[in-house]
Amino acid sequence: MEPQKILLPYNFSQNDQKALAFAIRTFGPLENSEVTIFHAFTPISEIEASDHQSATAKLKRRLSYLTQELTEREMALQEVRQYLISKGFHRDRVRYIFKSRKGETSAAIIEQTKDDDYDVIVLNHKPGKVTRFFTGSVFSKVVMAIRDITVCIVS
Amino acid sequence: MQTEDRINIEIFKVVTRAIAESKNLEIMAKHLAQLLVGALEIKGATIFATNVETKELEVLGSFGLSIPYMNKGPIYISRSIKSAEKHKAVVVRDVKNTDLLQYSADAIQEGIGAIVSVPIDFSGRVIGVLRLYHHDQWDISERDLDSLFVVAEIIGLAMMYARMNHAISDVKNIVGDVHEAWLE
Repeated sequence: MEPQKILLPYNFSQNDQKALAFAIRTFGPLENSEVTIFHAFTPISEIEASDHQSATAKLKRRLSYLTQELTEREMALQEVRQYLISKGFHRDRVRYIFKSRKGETSAAIIEQTKDDDYDVIVLNHKPGKVTRFFTGSVFSKVVMAIRDITVCIVS
Repeated sequence: MQTEDRINIEIFKVVTRAIAESKNLEIMAKHLAQLLVGALEIKGATIFATNVETKELEVLGSFGLSIPYMNKGPIYISRSIKSAEKHKAVVVRDVKNTDLLQYSADAIQEGIGAIVSVPIDFSGRVIGVLRLYHHDQWDISERDLDSLFVVAEIIGLAMMYARMNHAISDVKNIVGDVHEAWLE
């Protein structure tokens, strides 16, 4: 099998860990496989404060402290990268992308596939989830939108 | 302990605006969780949708809780802070002294002291839950609890709107896939 350039969207869920295990099993033994772990985060809510003494101004100041969660998420993504390296992927061939998104997760993944030439995308899918009725299924939106990429579904 | 009101009209406007202005339920839920954490000075907040088939709560959006806590396992409606009366909020003032939690050891390890659980109703049915997590023991004020009920009702409307929107969008995509030749 030829070396593969793999995109692994990752959202820290248990299903994402399954997708990660699949990527290690399937692509780990391949020399020169290149993996990009991808997480698109929701930025901190922007609010307008009427004056600096107002309740909204205080809330705005408190929200700025809450960016700590994003730092922790990025560190967790770095740990996933280290884990892949410990499982045999070459250090120079594992990278992570931690970027802000303004729209849907699926749109951020689709945009990433357009920005870079990937051979494979590894998605996870948990059937029967009720949240897909409210937010739509990331898996189906990505699959419908992308072209010329091998899609691996981990369920 | 704290009983002072945290949600005034100014904060309420910010919260409802975050719901009204968002085009995406996933982002709305996350922003709402952030705003409630900031406004109430609490540890975290999560918005769940109820899955009547699996009898589980599924996360729509969350803020402030660790990755291990979020991945602690499935949350069963019947075992996790179930209200004796449907459509009523449950206040767990001290997580160390309650039998209402499904994962009480995980909550203590996470540094959660108290939990407030508010049902998200739509048309007489509970379609989700809004949960707020405090670092310490917590006596939320009656007025803040009332405000959270109103917020939960608005979230319910937003959830159903998003659901309708997705259904219409799906129908549009299916109809769009029908070639003109089939309609001649």
